[in-house]
Amino acid sequence: MSEVAEFNLAAATQAPVPGARRRRGGHVMILAAVLGLAWIVPFYYAVVTVFKSTSDYASGGPLSLPHAIAPIIGNVVAAWQQTQMGTGMANSLGYGVFGAGAAVFFAAMAAYALARIVFPGRPAWFMLIFSGTIFPFQIYLIPLFQMYARVGLFNTRFGLLLAYIAICIPFPTLVLKNYMAEIPRELDEAARIDGGTHPRIFASIILPNCIGPLVALFLLQFTWIWNDLIFSMVLTQDTSRRSVMNTLMVFQGNYAGSTPNLVITAAVLASLPTVLVFLVLRRYFMQGLSLSTAR
Amino acid sequence: MAAAVRGTRSGAATRRRDFLAALAFMAPALGFVGVLLLYPVAYNIYISFTAWSRFVGYNRLVGFANYLHALNDPNFSAAAQNTVVWVLASLVLPVTLGLALAVVLRGVRGEESLKTVFFLPRLIAPTAIGAIWYYVYAGNGVINTVLRSVGLGGLVRSWLYEPATITPAIIVTYVWQTTGLVMVLVLIGLAALPREPIEAAHVEGASPWQVYRYVILPMLFPTLLVVTIISVIAGFTTFDLVWVMGRDYPDPSTLTLAIHQYWESFRANHWAYGAAVAVILGGIALLITWLQVVLQHRYERTLQ
Repeated sequence: MSEVAEFNLAAATQAPVPGARRRRGGHVMILAAVLGLAWIVPFYYAVVTVFKSTSDYASGGPLSLPHAIAPIIGNVVAAWQQTQMGTGMANSLGYGVFGAGAAVFFAAMAAYALARIVFPGRPAWFMLIFSGTIFPFQIYLIPLFQMYARVGLFNTRFGLLLAYIAICIPFPTLVLKNYMAEIPRELDEAARIDGGTHPRIFASIILPNCIGPLVALFLLQFTWIWNDLIFSMVLTQDTSRRSVMNTLMVFQGNYAGSTPNLVITAAVLASLPTVLVFLVLRRYFMQGLSLSTAR
Repeated sequence: MAAAVRGTRSGAATRRRDFLAALAFMAPALGFVGVLLLYPVAYNIYISFTAWSRFVGYNRLVGFANYLHALNDPNFSAAAQNTVVWVLASLVLPVTLGLALAVVLRGVRGEESLKTVFFLPRLIAPTAIGAIWYYVYAGNGVINTVLRSVGLGGLVRSWLYEPATITPAIIVTYVWQTTGLVMVLVLIGLAALPREPIEAAHVEGASPWQVYRYVILPMLFPTLLVVTIISVIAGFTTFDLVWVMGRDYPDPSTLTLAIHQYWESFRANHWAYGAAVAVILGGIALLITWLQVVLQHRYERTLQ
């Protein structure tokens, strides 16, 4: 549900603010600054901790500055090896790329039917697909686990991927249906009079007009899959198939090997790819938005 | 005449062909959603009326026994109470704070960087946030160190191990993570408001506070409603953050209903009971969504 929200993020950063820039009273500024400081302390803590060796961390306070830069290398190597993060990242990269890719493509197909083909009962067909967003994830866990165990999909990468695809279809269907409905009719009517078939119109006229939202939705769903913990916990068992957040969670709960500096280094490592993805995502959001406002 | 007949016949044929094409285009989406989401919902409801448990797998129908068990289970009651705290906190805190920030930050110097600071936590996975905040709350962690250094050593405690503090502590982390998103959504809502009523109120001599209270806030109602619903549903179904920060708690099963559901299903292997808890969670989510639809309708009617 927060996906809907995040999709609007670029609008907030781009939308014109009504009213000119005003000067604020000093006390409001101070309040905002103090709150901002409180907000940034956990980040500061994570950043200084990444540079502390285990003994540095134990001897100084949690907010003290690190003595040297070098310990970060040891932390990254140890965190990487002990969490087996390479495996987790490779898995999540696969889940994210193929899961989000397939989900957004299938959603685009469904959206084409719902927005560009006239047939009876369209709202009901749409609701059937969109109803996949109204239940909390908890309601899927036991049935999926049980079904997967029965058909041999439990603890397989393919099974987890299928679940990710299913969860990532309904929301993009909504966004793309609304987007495709705005594309002028004349574009495909000309093609249909010339005898163009639906697959051809879809592939050569509609899809090329949706690149912005397709990329934005792909990155959004990729981020969701990358950040997923619970489906990997329920549907996989072996370290070799876990998602990256699942490997992080297991490492964090493993008392023997994990010291604060290593766990926090692992948390930062696991988060970096999606933070980078977001930087790319912002640009594509704006592209998608300028496309939609230009029409 | 013949041409007209041919026309209608080919019209019907086109309609039929279009419907089949539409079905073909929707088939993958319908297949995935139907088999992996909607069928599981129905299956989960069925399991909740059986005596199914993992490894035993005995599926005798038992009516509402699992739901009655929930009512009598002290862990369920404790989890339900904490979930109510989560609902109330996520109803009030992120929205109030996000609204205040949006209103205060608009137009101040350094607006962009402050907005980025408040939105930053949203970019990081809840699992990673939980791992970092677990140590923020640790015995020698950030909070206790700050308390000691300002002379409030008496307040030092094991935040994530005491019944009175664990839920509020995790909620603070949740608020830290979600307020930025609420702020951004409110900013979108503010940017979309018509400017005439606001300017008119200014011209008539209304104070900034009066303008916010009597002009902007009522117009912002639809945005605030959606934001509140998003934040409440996300709040009371939160799993990652609570699991990562709270699973060392002596009785994690009591933390929230979402954790209770996972614990009973996959640690205690009580599938049928876990399915019933999932149905209860789904029911609450549907109720909240329904409430949103009703309130939105009422608001739209008052506008007309």
